[in-house]
Amino acid sequence: MAQVRLNHIYKRYSNGFEAVKDFHLDIEDKEFLVLVGPSGCGKSTTLRMIAGLEEISEGELYIGDRLVNDVAPKDRDIAMVFQSYALYPHMTVYQNMAFGLKLRKFKKDEIEKRVREAAKILDIEHLLDRKPKQLSGGQRQRVALGRAIVREPQVFLMDEPLSNLDAKLRVQMRTEISKLHQRLETTVIYVTHDQTEAMTMGDRIVVMKDGVIQQVDTPTDIYNHPANMFVAGFIGSPAMNFVEGSLIEEGGEVYFVSTNVKVKIPAGRAHVLREKNYIGKEVVFGIRPEAIHDELAFIEASPESSFEAKVEVAENMGSEMYLYLSGFGDKWLTARVSARTLYTPGSQAKLALDMNKAHIFDKETELTVF
Amino acid sequence: MKNKTNWAVTVPIALGSLLILFPLYLAIAVALKSPEELANSILGLPKEFHLENFMRAIEMTNFFQAFQNSAFVTVIAVVFTILTNSMVAYAIARNMDKTFFKSLYYYLISAMFIPFPLIMLPIVKETSALGMNNLFGLSVLYIVYGLSLNIFIYVGYIRSIPRELEEAAIVDGASAWGVFWKVIFPLLSPMNATVGILTCLWAWNDFMLPLIILNDPEMATLPLKQYIFQGQFSTDYNTAFASYLLALSPLVIVYLFAQKWVISGVTKGAIK
Repeated sequence: MAQVRLNHIYKRYSNGFEAVKDFHLDIEDKEFLVLVGPSGCGKSTTLRMIAGLEEISEGELYIGDRLVNDVAPKDRDIAMVFQSYALYPHMTVYQNMAFGLKLRKFKKDEIEKRVREAAKILDIEHLLDRKPKQLSGGQRQRVALGRAIVREPQVFLMDEPLSNLDAKLRVQMRTEISKLHQRLETTVIYVTHDQTEAMTMGDRIVVMKDGVIQQVDTPTDIYNHPANMFVAGFIGSPAMNFVEGSLIEEGGEVYFVSTNVKVKIPAGRAHVLREKNYIGKEVVFGIRPEAIHDELAFIEASPESSFEAKVEVAENMGSEMYLYLSGFGDKWLTARVSARTLYTPGSQAKLALDMNKAHIFDKETELTVF
Repeated sequence: MKNKTNWAVTVPIALGSLLILFPLYLAIAVALKSPEELANSILGLPKEFHLENFMRAIEMTNFFQAFQNSAFVTVIAVVFTILTNSMVAYAIARNMDKTFFKSLYYYLISAMFIPFPLIMLPIVKETSALGMNNLFGLSVLYIVYGLSLNIFIYVGYIRSIPRELEEAAIVDGASAWGVFWKVIFPLLSPMNATVGILTCLWAWNDFMLPLIILNDPEMATLPLKQYIFQGQFSTDYNTAFASYLLALSPLVIVYLFAQKWVISGVTKGAIK
């Protein structure tokens, strides 16, 4: 049993700065939890408090049923993988992996057994006699994972373990870590600033900003139902489009209007806006790039959300195309369309919004209305 | 494919090595000559090897006793300088955000700017008051007196070692003591070699401290013993140089051995 319970945890520094504010969360046994947010949001600090490398200023931390606020890192039954791998340069791969076990006075044959086993899982058996500097980035990463695995801890903590790898290797290691998690069935707490990693690896995602949890949810729910503008903008690539404007009612229908924009809000959703008194108020309209369509059939079916815009930049990704458009609101709008039609910069494009996937945010609180 | 000689580099290096090798040649040549030969030609090669110069030097300086004294002081000074100064530096380097350690750092560093003659008398007084006017006391003086430069060297290097290494060791289960000896100290090997060589050269060659600290002629170190050549035997250059060569040889061996460490340490840092 390795639940991790963070009970209203704060991190305050002596200069009064609060790096983490009221972090309250129950992490389930065997869960893969991802902490994500921009740099300086407190995600690493949170992880380091769980590891015991930072003191907890206020609140309680439980690992299993044990209160561990004042327990030394080595007695918390955790293992950590660092961003820089932190392999001991003067030791061989074998010694690196055996170090923790040796300190815990494991028997020699038990150490040997565990190290060989972990090396086999990670496919680094042939590297055991090498020094870290003789390894490539990906191999070092595996050794760092191996060092954590051999300890068979209750909780794995990973602090941006993939950010030093090149793009291709990162994708490969991403799936390997997921596989490893399935195999080991241990709780993993994983910190990253990369929303793709968060979306693809996490059972649940915690989005943080300025030391405060913005939202905790499954990847799908975070993506489809962001709690506020920050989460909506942070999760998803390319990012969600935001258009500032206001809501008006005409002939029993609700419209969102802005510069060159007038789109109808579907009746079911308009009802929510009326109830919450948003008619006539300034709001922020949000639409994800893939909810903007260029298929003729879709445009014809939704005349009340169709529009024409000028293609400023077209990025061909091969299977799809990112269009950066002007003429809808004040800022450029990003659309993600199929690469069937080749748009050229300067051309006009006819598009339509999938209004059932649109979001409205309160302009002042930045919270989601729907 | 032929490598072209880079004359712009080769010429200064050749001149530089000449500058170092010439006095060495002179010392060896003089040590092997007889006084008559030396009078005839200072620079010329010895015609026959007068090894009795060395025998005489050994007898006159009571070489083995003095060698033993010098070795004792140097070994104690080098070993304990490396062990203790690195520990102090580690404590300082990792606590530089705290006022106490920061002041301690600058306090120790500032000692580098205090000229030796200024503290010479107090040192004599204090060591004799504490009954430390012996070889052991001399070693302690080297350990403490070297602190300022060594701390400067160590602290700079330790601060370049990523903290994550220590954190990894802490999570792995090491205590502060364990972190230092199992992770930090092995990584300090290039600095340990540098500090070791500097301390070794200093303690072995130093004349002033032994002169003012040691009263008992039985305890005299090599440089102190060799001082006799300056007066009594002012004309006996052959014996004097033979004695210098004898004193020099162990250091050259130590240096050649430790130099490998320094070079490997420097390149290790460069690759990273």
